[in-house]
Amino acid sequence: MSQFTKKWVENLSTEVGRKRYRLYVESWEKKIGSFLDFRSENSSHNEGKLKGLPFGVKDNIATRGFKVTCGSKMLENLLSPYTATAVEKLIDAGAYVVGKTNLDEFGMGSSTDNSALQQTNNPWDINRVSGGSSGGSAAAVAAGLVPFALGTDTGGSVRQPASFCGVYGLKPTYGTVSRFGLTAYASSLEVIGVLSKDIDLTEQVYNTIKGEDPKDQTSIKPEVPTKTKGPFTIAVLDNISDLDPLVQKAYDKTIVSLEALGHTVVKVQLPTLEYVVPAYYTIATAEASANLARYTGIRYGLQPLYSENPDDLVQKSRSEGFGDEVKLRILLGTYVLRSGFQDQYYHRAQKIRTAIRNDLDRIFKDVDMLMTPTFPTPAFSRDEKSLTQFQQKVADKFTCTANLAGVPALNVPTIVENNLPVGMQFIAPVFEEPRLFEIARSLKDVFPIQDVPGYSEDWS
Amino acid sequence: MYESFVGLEIHIHLLADSKMFCSCKAQYGDEENTNVCPVCLGYPGVLPTANEKALELAYTVAEALNCELSPRTTFERKNYFYPDMPKNYQISQFEHPVGKNGWVEIEVNGEKKKIRIHDVHLEEDAGKMIHAGDVSLIDYNRAGYPLLEIVTEPDLVRGEDAEIYLKNFQRLVRYLGVSDGNMEEGSLRCDANVSINLEGQGLGRKVEIKNLNSSRFVKLALNYEIDRQSLLLDEGKIVSQETRLWNENRDITTVMRSKEQALDYRYFPEPDLPPFCPSDDFLQKVKDRQVELPLYRKDRFIKEYQLTEDQTEFIIDDKAVADYFEQVISLGVPTDMVATWLSGDVQKELNKNNMKLLESPLSPERFAELLKYLDEDRIHGKLAKQTLSAVFDENKSPGDIIAEKGWEQISNADQVQTLIEQVLADNQSVVDAIKSGDDRQRGYLMGQIMKKTNGRINPQIAQKVLSEKLG
Ligand SMILES: [Zn+2]
Repeated sequence: MSQFTKKWVENLSTEVGRKRYRLYVESWEKKIGSFLDFRSENSSHNEGKLKGLPFGVKDNIATRGFKVTCGSKMLENLLSPYTATAVEKLIDAGAYVVGKTNLDEFGMGSSTDNSALQQTNNPWDINRVSGGSSGGSAAAVAAGLVPFALGTDTGGSVRQPASFCGVYGLKPTYGTVSRFGLTAYASSLEVIGVLSKDIDLTEQVYNTIKGEDPKDQTSIKPEVPTKTKGPFTIAVLDNISDLDPLVQKAYDKTIVSLEALGHTVVKVQLPTLEYVVPAYYTIATAEASANLARYTGIRYGLQPLYSENPDDLVQKSRSEGFGDEVKLRILLGTYVLRSGFQDQYYHRAQKIRTAIRNDLDRIFKDVDMLMTPTFPTPAFSRDEKSLTQFQQKVADKFTCTANLAGVPALNVPTIVENNLPVGMQFIAPVFEEPRLFEIARSLKDVFPIQDVPGYSEDWS
Repeated sequence: MYESFVGLEIHIHLLADSKMFCSCKAQYGDEENTNVCPVCLGYPGVLPTANEKALELAYTVAEALNCELSPRTTFERKNYFYPDMPKNYQISQFEHPVGKNGWVEIEVNGEKKKIRIHDVHLEEDAGKMIHAGDVSLIDYNRAGYPLLEIVTEPDLVRGEDAEIYLKNFQRLVRYLGVSDGNMEEGSLRCDANVSINLEGQGLGRKVEIKNLNSSRFVKLALNYEIDRQSLLLDEGKIVSQETRLWNENRDITTVMRSKEQALDYRYFPEPDLPPFCPSDDFLQKVKDRQVELPLYRKDRFIKEYQLTEDQTEFIIDDKAVADYFEQVISLGVPTDMVATWLSGDVQKELNKNNMKLLESPLSPERFAELLKYLDEDRIHGKLAKQTLSAVFDENKSPGDIIAEKGWEQISNADQVQTLIEQVLADNQSVVDAIKSGDDRQRGYLMGQIMKKTNGRINPQIAQKVLSEKLG
């Protein structure tokens, strides 16, 4: 058990500690709004490696006894009738769900500003976004409201907010963590991920939730990793451009540090990188258009007071229940799947996806992992309107690569300047998560994890 | 001068115990919305898991229909909106169905005809809407029920062909034990495609007729449609490509939707289900499930047992009856006797007792025993029928019943001799009359002999002895 984890368990073991914890969360929540539902009274009776640890669950992951709003008006009042496998495994290991965290509606967005229910602010600077779509989980972890939280990652939704909030964010190999209970947005891309300020705990949580699940036939038993100890050979992209100066600085500094730590850094080409975003949005929205078709207001979800007929019911339910970003993506997905247009869009995107996978396979023949910035900018501010919705999407190219290829990736926090943390992304071959944890540990001395102003370990 | 082309799409519910993608019971008649769970209700976050038993039954049908079995079968999402379809997409198969390019034989007017099978694919059923006054209610018990769709090429010509194909198919799935094939309960449903064109011109414009729920309606609807399209062509008009419904009250088809309103299903691979690759074990199980199909069994029965067409039809209709028949035959009873009794008196007893053959007290052994008594002249026909009734009423073997009631025939020559001598002695005047030429009185004597023995005397032997005595 790491020092970090030990402190959490110890501090929560006394009545005074629990009271302080509650007050601490309350005062932070007034500023950042990371939780949609927080229940400080929860606790656990299970024995296990994670005994006594509270955790947050992104509110698109089913947890019995809690709602599963997906940050939407549509499901604002939907109670979950069952618990997701990943959550179940954590509960079995002694951890307990203390709350559900805010997100971009149905996981669609890069800021958590697309939540229909609440605004979440970045704990480093409340005028800035916490990132998306797992922004609630990232903010809660950064502010020290939970030792770890679950997020979901479809195109970077764990790693990008982790970068914005200065915490670790793991997107595991596709299929190693059961998706049962994860409200589907883009089934073939998404996976449940882990956010924490502690790399050992991140690893431990991943080890707890991974594994084959009979309820998810796409889930797989992870293969035994091949190389888990450094020094590593790390690829970086030959010509990387359009980075925010702070991100550029962090990127350069990380490369220098890696070499100083004894790793080998080599430059590679990733020709498919420019096609990542269009391929990602084509596939993700196609799947989303089918996955979200079930929300009709007939069985559950927002129902209009009055409707003329079933069509009218569905139409009213959706026009009131879905936000603009969700509507946009459903329309886009429906468009790319139209008969006669599939070859032009959907099938072509699938071919690009294969090309990206091949590109990475080629690179991984010679190197242990690939490093890129997680996102081209640090957390953006709402005032400046620094990134339009379109720019936000284009900026997803580094993170989406891993989702399209199904490989694991980790955001590792690096420098923090002017209360703006910047993270770097490490991408490994499938099942090689341990390499990612190792490189993070190796960088910890150079870039120690920093605490947000106002952070307290014992809530005093 | 016109040629017509008919293709059928048959849907059958598979007898797989549980639903296609969850473990809910797949059963009729339960209270509404009781066989449901988050998976078959399409709740957020749930995932389908493919039912291997349903896959096995699906492959069994594909194999029986001589299809190429898919070594890697995949699922697709078929997107369309329907209030009783929980996810608003149906998990179906498109690119790699369980079977493709098969064929099946049917017999039309004594001639065998090969009908090509385009494909056999699995999907999930929708729920059921119940419209009651102002409100519509939905029962999701049926949602997710494993459904197998069997699509033919347009090789059928008229409604009669389609009716025969359908009945033959119904028999086939029952033989394979994969479905009860019951149209009334909706476990077998049928859509049809029909097009006509000038002879030699190939397919015309296709009209689809949906939701035909009896084999008679299939025939009526198709013939109506062929005639309707022929008249249109006669008048120089064009058949429009559309989907129609059979109106059983008016005996006509009506437009459901036109080509412009055609649905775009936007098929794409189901990302929640990996491809299914049948193992050798799985394929062996599929092979083991194969049985002699009804049409071949019929041919064999006619050839091997010299039965009539009607008798054979009756016997092979139900595999259990046909199996029973062969079991009785194997016990050494003449085949025509078994066939006659099975379709006649046994059937009557079954109807009377409201029973199925296999659950009746008449085991193949008992049946064979009874018929042997008859065949060996140890009992005559009338008593055999009484014995059969008694087997049903008392659940005892024919031998026991015959012995108890003393029904065995008197065939012993000495015994018959003595009996007849007594009757002749008692009726001396009649004997005299016959001897002086009044042959009409012979019948009276025979009657007296029967009466004396309660009808148990062997009539042939009695006649013979009587003739000897009277000269
Ligand atoms: Zn179910």
